[in-house]
Amino acid sequence: MAKDPRVTNIEDLPGPKSKGEMEEWKMPYEEYCKKIFDVGNEHAKPRPLQGIKWLSCTMYIFTPHSVANLAELGAECVKIEMPRMGDAMRHTSPFNECYLYPLHDTRPMTGTGLGFTNANPNKYFLTMDYHIPEMVEIFYGLVKKFDGLTELYRPGTLDKWKMSYRYLSEINPRFIYVWGGGFGYGPKIFGGSYDILGQAHAGLASITGMHEYMGGHATKQTNWVIDWQSSNLITASIMAAIHHRRKTNLGTMIEFSQVQVPTRMLGHTTTMYGKFGIVRQRWGNWDTQLAVHGIILCGKSDFPDAENPQDKFCARYVMVSAFQDADFKELCAITGMNELYEKYKAHKNRVEGEAQVEIYTALERWAADKTRSQVAKILQDAGLLAEPVRNDREVYESPHYRERGTVRWLDDPLFGDMLLHAGYSSGMMEKTPRRINWHWRPVGADNKKIYNEMLGIPLSKIQEWYDKAYI
Amino acid sequence: MCDIIWCKKEVGGKPCDTINYLDPYCFWNWEGKINCAECGTVYFIHMIQGFMYKGPEERPGEKPDTMPLYADKPYDGYSNYRPGVEGRTRPYECKPRAQLLGVADMVKFSIRGRPVRGWRPQPPSAGLAGSFGFHWDIQKLTPDVWEEYQKKIAAGEVKDW
Repeated sequence: MAKDPRVTNIEDLPGPKSKGEMEEWKMPYEEYCKKIFDVGNEHAKPRPLQGIKWLSCTMYIFTPHSVANLAELGAECVKIEMPRMGDAMRHTSPFNECYLYPLHDTRPMTGTGLGFTNANPNKYFLTMDYHIPEMVEIFYGLVKKFDGLTELYRPGTLDKWKMSYRYLSEINPRFIYVWGGGFGYGPKIFGGSYDILGQAHAGLASITGMHEYMGGHATKQTNWVIDWQSSNLITASIMAAIHHRRKTNLGTMIEFSQVQVPTRMLGHTTTMYGKFGIVRQRWGNWDTQLAVHGIILCGKSDFPDAENPQDKFCARYVMVSAFQDADFKELCAITGMNELYEKYKAHKNRVEGEAQVEIYTALERWAADKTRSQVAKILQDAGLLAEPVRNDREVYESPHYRERGTVRWLDDPLFGDMLLHAGYSSGMMEKTPRRINWHWRPVGADNKKIYNEMLGIPLSKIQEWYDKAYI
Repeated sequence: MCDIIWCKKEVGGKPCDTINYLDPYCFWNWEGKINCAECGTVYFIHMIQGFMYKGPEERPGEKPDTMPLYADKPYDGYSNYRPGVEGRTRPYECKPRAQLLGVADMVKFSIRGRPVRGWRPQPPSAGLAGSFGFHWDIQKLTPDVWEEYQKKIAAGEVKDW
């Protein structure tokens, strides 16, 4: 220890004494990641969008999910729904008709369907028939206190009700206004949209699935990918608008046509047309730029005795990748396709359509007497990239997703034990992670909180509106 | 769009009058033999791009390659054969349940054995104008489910995953 207390010697300090020692002391990268991301402890960390308040006049998946992203990141989001009825999406459910009850105080026999999942977590739920003259001022009162609004009505509907950006920006110049819908202004301005319409209209469905002569059809994704993806892009626009507002103190309007988004997902398709006039075709489970790089069908199911058809019949697909010359050589050696290796040594030859048909057919013939796991193991043992195509159950049971907290259970404050994934599958953030507080709440569950606590409206007035079905 | 085979075969002195539906996914580009779900008469058809290019032609004594997905009898009060009737309509393996009844599946416990509010009727919240708190007091609201849950815990049926 130095005699003079004002002198600091590095030897006296805790921690490494040299650069070399510092390197030695560093924890392995994996442990470091586990420590900083601290899966399961998200709620102990700050919320990145704390302080942002957002209104949502939205329905179904597309626009609600754009607000859900904000809510997961900690913004205070209020969803305004039709009195006693709620978002139409609450009334949709998969085949098993799985609802969580109740929908509303007055409707104990009606529930919210699981179709509502992931697009509405962490929101507060308000009911208001805002288009009737009695409630317009109340709506304006909310606009004064909030940072922005997302709506999905046909273009001009809120303008007709004097609630569009033109009007609201006069009340609150910092207001950020998002219209999200089907086509936006242009020749199809009044066209409504659904995800499947977007996939069709923008040409995405035309290049999804196998070609017709291979038994395929133009195919939509089973899930509503355009809804989910469009809403992510809306959220990105909102973030940019918030940043812009910090610099200028002014709000803005975002106009977002859902059917534009699939064009963004088409990769080289449009540019190729522009260059050569070539209209891209479907190539399904294979790849137009790499070979071998696709999904093949094996002969035997991994779970032949399972009750669920998805296990029993469909646990037969494997993703295989061996497009590098050395990998393709190895693949051919394992599967006894040496003739094909000689024929298609060069990648530019085997990536051709006819060659792919021949190669994948031979691969599936080789896999005809094997299960999915056998095929994946043989290829992985040979150092090739291969993964079974998993179903939901297998994802749920996968240690990879459990360890990273992607799939986890939530004790929902109102609805009990629910399995969730979306909020925790959007990338990890060290200091300000996303989190899920609740999946959703019943229709009008937060009427008192918003009307009384935020706007200061007396409880008797709230009850009166409720009795008249204004809220 | 969906093409049909309207079977007019005389059976027991009167026409069979069954409509066999040829769903586009299986028959869009298809050539082969298909049976009538009601009387079993085998027809040959050839479809190109959803258009019935040839047939239906009767092929007595031959075996069908496949079956229609669904069939009904409009002159018999629309009595019908739903998908998956053995020997009559094509198996439909993706059925999510043994029978689709149009009635909600209700559950009180999740797959790991913990309570989930998936049944009705639920008692009202007794809040103001539709308001709800942030706590589901299962013990107070539904004591029977709470008791069942305690038994599950005692029996070791409540799991982490």
